[in-house]
Amino acid sequence: MDWVPTIINGLLIGGLYGLLGLGLALVFGIMRIANLAHGEVIVMSAFLGLFLNQWLGINPLLLLPVIALVFFGIGYALQVGLLNRLLGKGPLPPLLVTFGLSTMLRNLMGQGFGADIHRIDSGSLPFISLHVAGFSIGVLPLITLAISTACFVALALVIGRTGFGRIVRATADDFHVVQMQGVNYRHIYGLVMGLALALTAVAGVLLGMRSTFTPYSGVEHLLLAFEVVVIGGLGSLWGPLIAGFAIGVVHLVGLRLDPSSGLLYPDLLFFLVLLIRPQGLAGLRRA
Amino acid sequence: MPLLEVDGLNAFYGDLQALHEISFTVDEGEVIAIIGANGAGKTTLMRSIAGLIRSRAGRVMFGGADITGLRADRVARLGIASVPEGRCLYPSLTVEENLAMGTAARRDGPWTLPAVYDLFPILREFRRRPATALSGGQQQMVAIGRALMGNPRLLLCDELSLGLAPKIVGEIYACFDRIRQSGLAILLVEQDVTRALQVASTVHCFLKGRISLSGAGSTLGIDAISHAYFGG
Repeated sequence: MDWVPTIINGLLIGGLYGLLGLGLALVFGIMRIANLAHGEVIVMSAFLGLFLNQWLGINPLLLLPVIALVFFGIGYALQVGLLNRLLGKGPLPPLLVTFGLSTMLRNLMGQGFGADIHRIDSGSLPFISLHVAGFSIGVLPLITLAISTACFVALALVIGRTGFGRIVRATADDFHVVQMQGVNYRHIYGLVMGLALALTAVAGVLLGMRSTFTPYSGVEHLLLAFEVVVIGGLGSLWGPLIAGFAIGVVHLVGLRLDPSSGLLYPDLLFFLVLLIRPQGLAGLRRA
Repeated sequence: MPLLEVDGLNAFYGDLQALHEISFTVDEGEVIAIIGANGAGKTTLMRSIAGLIRSRAGRVMFGGADITGLRADRVARLGIASVPEGRCLYPSLTVEENLAMGTAARRDGPWTLPAVYDLFPILREFRRRPATALSGGQQQMVAIGRALMGNPRLLLCDELSLGLAPKIVGEIYACFDRIRQSGLAILLVEQDVTRALQVASTVHCFLKGRISLSGAGSTLGIDAISHAYFGG
């Protein structure tokens, strides 16, 4: 009985972990690009949330649509202006460029904001909790889970049910052939990168509300996001959410067993999945 | 004015010249066939017209506009649809979603989902299945339907009969009459010479990237074709 709250809290944070990896999974699944600047995007969005919150005094949750929109634009510009130029030159150029980008962004943020530890202020929200069936559940984690899950559902509907989603799936299958039907795949790639960064920015702000960050936090977020992608596996948009839940529960149970373990247990889960089920929990074998 | 006018087209794969000074025309509503051995440059020609290969010299005019070097998606939107060699269906999409991809060209006209299902009734039955779960002939129907859904003025068909049983090929070519009745022209690459001579008003034979023989199907003798086909 004692373990139930731990597992519940693991699931609550797991939704956010899943959302942290969703943008990375989407971009890799559609464009076969591993965006190594993913962690910096998370931190940048948290900083944007921090500044808008301090400047306007608006609850960061209400800022989410604006921040998502800004990062959608950044994503589109990044893909169309930079990454599309590297298509068809093998997997290495995008890796190098996004790696360079991550280093640049990290140090620019370090120059601009210093190494201080920040946290987005959401007033008394982190301290409110509900009491359900004898358990106390934080409202902020609950809202975080709700928003994260909503993002997954929304993306699944867009990709699975709309005409745009059909074009995205076809482009992922064969970007040469879609051109013969009049699709400009460069534009589609831009929109997908925009979507990915918008989702990532939502995750970044939510993360910045519940834990601290510095300009240099991106590296650990990137690692976590990669673990989400690998554990979840490609082939299903729900993979990252399942992986997030698994990581969240393993993380908190691990911390309970060994308070100084940090991310050791999620890392072990990652290792185990690679060993036993390299296609991931929800992964399909894809050609 | 012809619908499509290819004038002195040269195309390259790297440093290898695959097409030399190709010139021919396709009129509105006409069926033209390209025949030739493997490696004669037939597919290169199709890909050059579709905008997938940039030509370094020569000109392609379509409906009075110069489309040389135009990006492939723009060419498609102007009304040139392709049924690519090997069909190239999207494995992640259902039959109906594959067909609907044709509408990405954003062209209105007679070809809609009901019209395509009317042409190939079997596809309506299988519309929820993954496209690659169908038989080869049915997949070819999906590829043709997908191209028609873009309501093109010119249809490029590359090796429709490749890997299909003769009976199935016959069924697919049988639908050509109805496609032509909707007013579009067809440029066809075909290894099956007899088939090409049957359906096309004019046949061009390719040999090593050059047109070695041209003429109406009925006027070409088998010896002349054989000579133009194999060289020597």
